[in-house]
Amino acid sequence: MKILAIEDEPKVGKALLQGLKAEGYQVTLAPTGEDGFFLLNSSAFDLVVLDVMLPGRSGIEVLKAMRRQELRVPVLLLTAKDSVEDRVVGLDAGADDYLVKPFAFPELCARIRALLRRGKPEQVLTLKIDALEMDLITRSVTRENKPIELTVREFELLEFLLRNKGKVVSREMLARDVWKETSRATPLDNVIDVHIARLRRKVDDDFQPKLVRTVRGVGFMLSEDTR
Amino acid sequence: MQRFRTTLRARLTLLYIFLVSIVLILYAGGASVFFWQKLIGELDLSLDRDVETIENLIVEEPNHKIRVDTGDESENLLLEVWSQQGTLLYHSTELRGGLLGPPIAGNSPRHPPNRSINLANNKTVRVITVPHKLGAQVVIVRLGLSENVLREQFAEMISALALGFPVALVIVGLTGYFVARRALQPLDSMARRAKQINAEHLNERLTISNSEDELGHLGSAFNETLSRLEHSFGQLKRFTADASHELRTPLTAIRSVGEVALQNPVDDQSHRDAIGSMLEEVSRLTHLVESLLILSRAESEHLVLQRSAVSLRELANESVTLLEVLAEEKHQSLKVEGDKSLVVSGDPLILRQALAALIHNAVKYSPAEGSIQVRVGATNGNAFIEVHDSGPGIAPEHRVKVFERFYRVDKGRTRDLGGAGLGLSIADWAVKAHGGKIELECDSGPGCTFRIKLPVSPK
Repeated sequence: MKILAIEDEPKVGKALLQGLKAEGYQVTLAPTGEDGFFLLNSSAFDLVVLDVMLPGRSGIEVLKAMRRQELRVPVLLLTAKDSVEDRVVGLDAGADDYLVKPFAFPELCARIRALLRRGKPEQVLTLKIDALEMDLITRSVTRENKPIELTVREFELLEFLLRNKGKVVSREMLARDVWKETSRATPLDNVIDVHIARLRRKVDDDFQPKLVRTVRGVGFMLSEDTR
Repeated sequence: MQRFRTTLRARLTLLYIFLVSIVLILYAGGASVFFWQKLIGELDLSLDRDVETIENLIVEEPNHKIRVDTGDESENLLLEVWSQQGTLLYHSTELRGGLLGPPIAGNSPRHPPNRSINLANNKTVRVITVPHKLGAQVVIVRLGLSENVLREQFAEMISALALGFPVALVIVGLTGYFVARRALQPLDSMARRAKQINAEHLNERLTISNSEDELGHLGSAFNETLSRLEHSFGQLKRFTADASHELRTPLTAIRSVGEVALQNPVDDQSHRDAIGSMLEEVSRLTHLVESLLILSRAESEHLVLQRSAVSLRELANESVTLLEVLAEEKHQSLKVEGDKSLVVSGDPLILRQALAALIHNAVKYSPAEGSIQVRVGATNGNAFIEVHDSGPGIAPEHRVKVFERFYRVDKGRTRDLGGAGLGLSIADWAVKAHGGKIELECDSGPGCTFRIKLPVSPK
């Protein structure tokens, strides 16, 4: 999968380059809109990560020019502005998704995965990590074939973690995708922590290895890797 | 010139001159008409006198010719005598063949009114016409008197007026200018003073000499504006200082953790710890900046409420469902009660955010095993949701300030309890944006009650 990142801020650009490479993508970094546009016209990409505030041509202009040229590659916009109007401008210009700076890197990865997955039908009926299995049809969870009773919220939380297994999910992602809370001002961090603690009690307490891991300062992840 | 016209003083002066000119013109016109009438009247009087004298001098000679014994004055005499049949019986030499008007005939019993005519030599003459009984027949006597002297007098008067006119206007203009300047003097000094007042000197005020007059009102109004500005500026300054402080704390943590981690050659795990710790501070910073953005947007009114009918009981249930795990962890009881039918018009997301902040606070400050009640109800046309906690209460001196930004009752420990001291400010704004307010009640019994009051939506 080839990703083009158009980002002028060197540190953020470098982080994108290294972080996405570590996720297994082939990444090209363009520091200006012109460079990016040239690259887009000269080679094929599966996805573009586009900063809105670029020197010279803005991200929105680049995006509009791309769409005028019938370049249909999915575009994920990065911006420091998050008012409703700004979002509308971006999406109207042809963006597929929108991420507000400062963003959590796990969230960027999750969005990229979602965009790349888009259009491909999902055939998953069960999710699994180690000996932990989730049946999405019967909505039941077992570990080592012992049933685990989960509340609705805990089930959704575990499902989200399972779908992103091996990847870190941030509290922001959980608040938005599991709690469906759009306003970040709602005090949810403690609530999430409590739910994670309860989930851990049910899923990990009586078993080995411990799957639910806290990644300090970033979020949580499900991993069988005990490192 | 343009500059001159634009000053209020100049405009007032011009207006003054204009008005005085109109008054003067009206006065001069009236006076002239009156004066002219008076002059003509006097001339007519002398015509009456003269014609009487002359009538006595008309003699009919035996040959039916008419003779007038005028003596020496005959040269200046403008006299005609007509027969009733319209024959010119006599005319004085001074007329030199000209006539005092058209030929006249008939025996009108009343003599026609005096009138002014122009003679061939450009002389204007006032003419009187009277019938005169001369022996058996009645003749018509027409006598003219030159108006020249009268016209000269009139012209003199007009020129005297015309000469006085500009002089009067100059005097009026100067007086007007100085009066206007004098009247507007306080305005000038106020403007000068106002220019000196800037953001740094907002505590200064205009000096008002007379608070009763119009300029005094203006000055007072300006001073009141300054007071309000000073107040908001003070708030802004304090806010900026507080915000910088709040930003500096996590920045300091990031910096020192990073520096220490770099200086000490340690293992991989400590590096991870250091980075994790820095990221925690980053998320604290992010949260803070987001809260500040919400508040600044709220202030600049960029945020538009997405109103719909909101059931308060449902709102309370949702918020409690969201946060009840926190209460469970502390073995607190968190209960909702109250009117299920109460509906207000509002933005459910923003209202829930406000209520969640209050409930979150209540859970945070209530002790373990404590209880929290959320009640929905209505009083005096207002709907309310109140959150009653079993916390230690809030001392009176803190009660007003808890809604201020960054305000914390206990400065020392609150960082551990999370939040930057903006939650209640945001809640306060959210409720105010809906036309309501948050009340705080701490006096009755233990704990505090935060009450969101909202106007009930009109049916």
